[in-house]
Amino acid sequence: MLFWVLAVTVPIYASALYMSYQSTAQRLEAGAARDADELAARLAAGIDTVIRPIEGGVRTVAHQLEEVDPPPAQYPQRIRGLLNAWPEVYGSTIATEVRAGDQTARAFAPYYFRRAGAIAYSDLALDSYGYSNLPWYRRAADSLEPAWSAPYFDAGGGETWMVTYSVPFFRRNPDGARALAGVVTADLDLEWVRHAAARVRLPPFTAGWLASPPSAHDFVAPIGESTSGDVEAVRTAAEAMLSKGRTFGLMGSPADRGPYYLAVRNLETLQWRLMLVMSRSQLVAEARVVLLRQLWLGLAGLVLLIAAISFVATGVSNPIRRLAEAVGGAKEGDLDFPLPEARRDETGVLTDALRRLRDSLKLHVQMRAESIAAQARLEHELEIAASIQQAMLPKRESQRLPPGIHVAAALIPARRVGGDLYDYFMLRDGRLLFAIGDVSDKGIPAALFMARVSGLIRVLGSAGESPERILAEVNARLAEGNDACMFVTLGCGTLDPADGRLRYASAGHEAPLLRRSNGEIVVLPTENGVAIGIELAAEYRATEIALTPGETLVLFTDGLSEAVTADGKQLGSERLGQLLVVGDPEKLVQGVLGVFNDRSAGMHVDDDLTLMAIGLAPRSQWIFEPDLARDGVRQAQAWLRDILRAHLDPARVADAELIAEELLTNVARASQGRGVRASLECRPAAHEVVVFFRDDGAPFDLLAQGAPTLDDDIESRNVGGLGIHLVRELADGVRYRREDGENVLEVRLNRKEQP
Amino acid sequence: MILNIILDPAKPTTITLEGRLDTHTAPELDAALDRILLSAGIKRLVFDLGKLEYLSSAGIRCFIRARKILEPQGGKIAIVNPQPAVQKVLDIVKAIPAGGIFKSVAELDAYLDEMQRKVREGD
Repeated sequence: MLFWVLAVTVPIYASALYMSYQSTAQRLEAGAARDADELAARLAAGIDTVIRPIEGGVRTVAHQLEEVDPPPAQYPQRIRGLLNAWPEVYGSTIATEVRAGDQTARAFAPYYFRRAGAIAYSDLALDSYGYSNLPWYRRAADSLEPAWSAPYFDAGGGETWMVTYSVPFFRRNPDGARALAGVVTADLDLEWVRHAAARVRLPPFTAGWLASPPSAHDFVAPIGESTSGDVEAVRTAAEAMLSKGRTFGLMGSPADRGPYYLAVRNLETLQWRLMLVMSRSQLVAEARVVLLRQLWLGLAGLVLLIAAISFVATGVSNPIRRLAEAVGGAKEGDLDFPLPEARRDETGVLTDALRRLRDSLKLHVQMRAESIAAQARLEHELEIAASIQQAMLPKRESQRLPPGIHVAAALIPARRVGGDLYDYFMLRDGRLLFAIGDVSDKGIPAALFMARVSGLIRVLGSAGESPERILAEVNARLAEGNDACMFVTLGCGTLDPADGRLRYASAGHEAPLLRRSNGEIVVLPTENGVAIGIELAAEYRATEIALTPGETLVLFTDGLSEAVTADGKQLGSERLGQLLVVGDPEKLVQGVLGVFNDRSAGMHVDDDLTLMAIGLAPRSQWIFEPDLARDGVRQAQAWLRDILRAHLDPARVADAELIAEELLTNVARASQGRGVRASLECRPAAHEVVVFFRDDGAPFDLLAQGAPTLDDDIESRNVGGLGIHLVRELADGVRYRREDGENVLEVRLNRKEQP
Repeated sequence: MILNIILDPAKPTTITLEGRLDTHTAPELDAALDRILLSAGIKRLVFDLGKLEYLSSAGIRCFIRARKILEPQGGKIAIVNPQPAVQKVLDIVKAIPAGGIFKSVAELDAYLDEMQRKVREGD
């Protein structure tokens, strides 16, 4: 800041100084020159003022002599009168004209002059003097006009260098003609002139001279303290100027002094020159001195200015810097930085503004932190809610489904929690109960409603209610006090794995699709009832069909059927059917989800999406035909073990293996190598597993054999019946029937071992 | 799983069975028993079933057959340490008389010591 202030100030100051110097120099020069000119005029006038009365006095004497024509004896009196009247006059005489050949008149010239404070007398009429031929006499006598002489040394007269004003006077001849009678003079002592000139005070850098016109004996009197230096050059210049009628000018440079101003006057009285010169370089030097003084003053001012500016600047910038340091010291999130005391200036206003900003920022940060915490809490709760909701969905691995039934399902909530639901579980009677639903809304309210629906279905289903009754009951509970006016579309059904019987009821839910084993898709015929939660009392009707092995029931919510495809239209159940390319529920669900997850398919879903597929496995999956000729018993045991492991505990699985061995060994033995075909069919149900043993051998009811005689003596013991005895004992039920040319033994094994 | 028949030379009358004794493996046991029982003078045959996992009626028949050979000679068979699944089969068919099945070798040894003591006292 200080730097910039100086950077701006100093050049301005410097240019101001320079301009001031220039104008000072010019003004000084012009003023001084004018002064010199005026001074020259004044001095010239002053000299004239002194000399002119003397001239007048001399002319008056001459006039009186002409008028009165007194006798020469009175001449001294008049001369002395003149000297007394003008102390400036050095000496004076009245010299008479002596005409050649005129013997009557004789030369008469009493000369009175000042010497050592008294008036001395000298007779100029002496022949040794011979005034009539001297220039002071001759000029006036010849021109008959008053005239000033050139400087001359008056030897035999005044005995000094002088100039003489001579005025002729005349006498009327008797014939009336005017004839020169003589000359009245007044002398000016040049020493006196010199002293008078030296007493004049000239302004500085000015020199001046009083000079006689060029003649044999030039007289130059320096004015004031002037030296005679190069006065000759000045005189030459002055003469040149006068000859051009000019009185003032700037002269060229005499070798050592530089240009100078010259003012010159021609004295009216003496016809002398008054010259004043003023050296320009000295004037400039003077201007420089003035400038230097100004410069020093300016420098002092500048220093003061700098001091003042830096004082003010630091007064402003220090608080700002302290403020900046205080604000800059605030670490991220730490707004408790101290602010300096508010001053009573603009900085104070800024400080106050910053304080208010800081405080409101602190408040904002605090509120934001609270809001973030609240959001995190809500997020955490949502997380928990989502996991609870996920936990409500049946887990495949924990479901003990009969091998004939395959269920796969997926639920993708549009938000963290959703209003869709699906459920399936085995009933005590061996049937599968399944349900799918869609609550009218999304998010938490829907999730809560969904939880109620889910719970009710579990309770009612486990109690053995039919699908239509379940719907009616759920509706009755939910419709009551349904202030939130929520509703749910619900599809509910049971599937008996033993015979494929499907019973299905719908409360406003979109009809499921049925995929036949040949790939044909049909819509399951349903009697749709009102959605749940709307009517206080609603009745539902179930429809019943028989599912055959290899068929798959596909249930879904509208999140799926109303998904928007790439062409901007809803998917719809018809096009959904085209996606069902496989019958296996697991692969079917994965296949459909794959389409939705494939971005390139351009599916757009903004609702909860649920898909559930329930398949009745093809017969081949639960029937095994062992090759009895080749280790068939072991194969059959391994097959059974694999299936039953999921349904029975290890001891019961071992029982089933033992039963299989005993029965198949019997069949093999009875066939006696005739190539009998045998088969096992496994039908796990909810509480038991039924295994059918079939063979196309000759009709033979193993059960008709008598029980072995276990307690008999070992010798007579019938060993042959041991196997069937084991089967009877291990199984929870054995039945024989002859069916379609086959012996059929139906063996039941309870899931729980009977005590 | 197959059947392993382990014969310990130090205990010539103990047969340790390991694995499955079923229709397929019963003939192996029959053959082994034939060899053992033909060396005359065996009074007591012990089957250690600690490692037998599976027993079907075919296996039971092996035990009954052994009994049929031994008992006329005044000999007896004992079953030691049957696993639950095997025990269950044995219980159902009652192929081994009560007192012929021991939970462990130690129990069998205690029983045999008792028998010897009774014999001595009887003499």
